[in-house]
Amino acid sequence: MGFPDVERRRVLAAAALGREATTPGPGPEGGEPLRAVTGEILDVSPHMIAVETPDGRQERLVIAPWATAWHGGDVAPADLPVRATVLMRALREGKVVERIWADTVRLTGTIVSIEGRKDVTVELDCGPHRGRRTIVIPYRATGRLRVRHPQFEPGYLFDAIGVRKDGAALALLPATSQPAYPARAVPPPPPSYAGAQARIAGTITWSDVFDGEERGAAYPMVERSDAGCPDAGVSCAALPYLAIGSLLQIQNVCANRSAVVPIVACGCVAGRFCDRCVECGTSPRGRITELSPASYVELGGDLVNGCFNAQIGLG
Amino acid sequence: MTHVLASQVPVLIVLLVLGTVAKFSVVRSGREPGELARLGPAVLMPGRLQQPALLLCGVVELVLAAGLLVSAHPLFRWGTVTFFALSTYVLLELRRRRPDAGCGCFGEVSSAPVGLRSIGRTVVLTGMALMAVWAGTPGWTAFAEPAWGFTLAGAAVLAVLSPEIDELVDRARHRAPCEQRRGPQEGVSLARLKSSGTWRAHAAQLAATEPYDSWRELCWRFFAFQNHERDDVVFAVHLAGRRPAVRVAVVSAESLPEYTTVSA
Repeated sequence: MGFPDVERRRVLAAAALGREATTPGPGPEGGEPLRAVTGEILDVSPHMIAVETPDGRQERLVIAPWATAWHGGDVAPADLPVRATVLMRALREGKVVERIWADTVRLTGTIVSIEGRKDVTVELDCGPHRGRRTIVIPYRATGRLRVRHPQFEPGYLFDAIGVRKDGAALALLPATSQPAYPARAVPPPPPSYAGAQARIAGTITWSDVFDGEERGAAYPMVERSDAGCPDAGVSCAALPYLAIGSLLQIQNVCANRSAVVPIVACGCVAGRFCDRCVECGTSPRGRITELSPASYVELGGDLVNGCFNAQIGLG
Repeated sequence: MTHVLASQVPVLIVLLVLGTVAKFSVVRSGREPGELARLGPAVLMPGRLQQPALLLCGVVELVLAAGLLVSAHPLFRWGTVTFFALSTYVLLELRRRRPDAGCGCFGEVSSAPVGLRSIGRTVVLTGMALMAVWAGTPGWTAFAEPAWGFTLAGAAVLAVLSPEIDELVDRARHRAPCEQRRGPQEGVSLARLKSSGTWRAHAAQLAATEPYDSWRELCWRFFAFQNHERDDVVFAVHLAGRRPAVRVAVVSAESLPEYTTVSA
């Protein structure tokens, strides 16, 4: 990302303030650890799947009998196409697969333009780091997406989950109920009183713009000058300012799992969403962070649900 | 009699200048343009015109204040009357059309919805401006020989009618904790660091006077330097206060977390 060695920041900050330097990794709760495996399918049968990981290794994993897969809809794992890019949730030291998501994309941003009558082509502004991307909403999905995006016009936010097909990103499922305000009019956080809370609750989502196996989070509340991000520092949750390189202790309230995840990017788009997650109960308003898919899955999240209720503390 | 009529001119000038400063600082603070959507008559404008409208309003106020100060020309006197009379109408319209929006008279401090107090204030200001029409002397003479009793009475009436004062008191009482407040600029913190005793004690060891990395975490801003042995010297400067707490640590280049194997 062009920042000076951010790993080093943790060591230096800990030394200056005389605190213990923590390291990223999963927490003790939640039972059996999950591992996210990313790769391109080389071969798949009802019981085995072989993938090539981004670093060029080949991995063969056992498909659990109860395993399910998602590729624009629920499918049997054996029906996944060869050469599809998959993210798998694996148990037993990462050898037994129980959930597979194939070619899944997350389309989050501000609507720039809308074209087309049946299949709608939408251009999204995904923030200064991520640029713009063009997505297609196929006719069969328009009703489902429009009902959750009542302000379907330029300047408003858009968030959907879909699949990559023939190089195009198809939006299929709404990932949230669209906030009612324009993207540049985020409501201020509720007033907070002296003595910050030790833990902050809200919703955590995922984004597909991270590298394949990257573990990390995009956090909205970073200083604009530090992150080189003119849109940062906006959030409707009362979040503290942190730096790229700081650690977040994230607890998935729905799955009772926790992990310590480093902040690797500025989450300026996530900060604009003042929405709730209703995955288990109703979360307070505001997206706390956006996780990389691997971190999200290892915390027990399901990519198709799009969010989980979470609490964060400082790692 | 002129004395009485001119007594409110200083109040008008100070208020107009305050209004200009507050409006310009809102625009300069680089806030989200959307936030202006809750401020004042700008709401009634389309999105891209909101900022210019706020600036134009500020400029008009400044011109009127300057005119009241240096001349007794009827143009400025009647201009002020028209300005406040129009403001009264705009606020009534704003209250009818956007009951959620604040008047924006003093920038973002005036974000509370327009109420009878704000409208009452513009009515009183229109009255004061009308008094000034027949004062016949430029504003600076009123500053030179103030009629304290009348001027203070006018200021007190306006203070009672100002919802901004309640807002300022609330803000002072319920301030966000420092980790949630926007901190001072990086350069300001660096200047504060360089004026501290801790800096003077360590400055001689440093290879460069500019940090190679700087970041903010919670209430602290960190500056990382290298010393002549190529070790890292990191300063942590607290964000609050003009003479903030400064901490320092020297971390050797090899001291990344080490893992020692445990033998049985």
